[in-house]
Amino acid sequence: MGLLRRRAVGRPEPDDSCGPTVAIGAAEARMPVRVVGQVSRMRARPTTGVPALAVTISDDTGSIVAVWTGRREIGGVTLGRRLLIEGVALRRAGHLEFTNPAYTLLP
Amino acid sequence: MKVVIAGAGSVGRYMAMQLLAAHHEVTIIDQASAVATRHRDQMEGITWHIGDACELDTLAATGCADADVVAAVTGDDEDNLVVSLLAKQEFAVPRVVARVNNPDNEWMFNEMWGVDLSVSTPHLLTALVEEAVSVGSFVRLLSLEGGRARLAEVTLAAGSPAIGIELAALGMPRESTVVAVLRDGHVVVPRGDTVLRDLDEVLVLVTGDSDDDVRRLLVG
Repeated sequence: MGLLRRRAVGRPEPDDSCGPTVAIGAAEARMPVRVVGQVSRMRARPTTGVPALAVTISDDTGSIVAVWTGRREIGGVTLGRRLLIEGVALRRAGHLEFTNPAYTLLP
Repeated sequence: MKVVIAGAGSVGRYMAMQLLAAHHEVTIIDQASAVATRHRDQMEGITWHIGDACELDTLAATGCADADVVAAVTGDDEDNLVVSLLAKQEFAVPRVVARVNNPDNEWMFNEMWGVDLSVSTPHLLTALVEEAVSVGSFVRLLSLEGGRARLAEVTLAAGSPAIGIELAALGMPRESTVVAVLRDGHVVVPRGDTVLRDLDEVLVLVTGDSDDDVRRLLVG
């Protein structure tokens, strides 16, 4: 869970003790999860109204969407970039969606 | 449904009782233990939680993690926004409803703060007064999906260009639809062949920028 974890252990490390990552296809909704995947799609939405950046992150098992509100880009988050995402996701129209999850850029 | 209500003022308490009567599982959060002590006895079946709803730990303790709806209805807009954001961001609550106290703040109650549906009492009252006094004008009742869809109401005046025309022939813009017609105290479910009459109250769901077109068709 983004804030709780950030507050409890500071900046997350991919291999530290705050929990293992799960395959994207195995991630569950409404539970704190950590997933690692590659950015496969980026979309700034919508053109009018509240700005938001929707990023699709995929691994071999599936895709999830992370939405960051109030921004249209995030430095370092580019197509093909590997990301560690942690947060609580909501199931929406068949896919899991995070709102403002914690993220770590991976090499 | 599991509902968590932040704010045990008159709005929160009323909502809690209504939702309980509809057999929902209701938890109510308030900072003041005096409020709980005073009202707990008359509100059997409702789970009370004393704490600051703007604190993550409080929300976690009230079971937001598996709540279907969180309603932020305190008398403080800042608190309502914080509760909404936490509910959406940290607990992925599917439906977050927030109360707008000061209409000047309404623009913030949107997706950016995790709000799915905002209800502004002053705005609603204005709309209702407007509705009560005006025939032949376009009254916005409710805003959905962060303002991307609006429910509006028009009471057709005698001179409305829509009178006597079948709905299908009215040429409503694609971004809008007539959802109900209130006629002589009855609700008419609109079909393509429904013919609008003088003094019909027409409820329209409007999205995009189609307000002006709808207004032109129904009001003239």
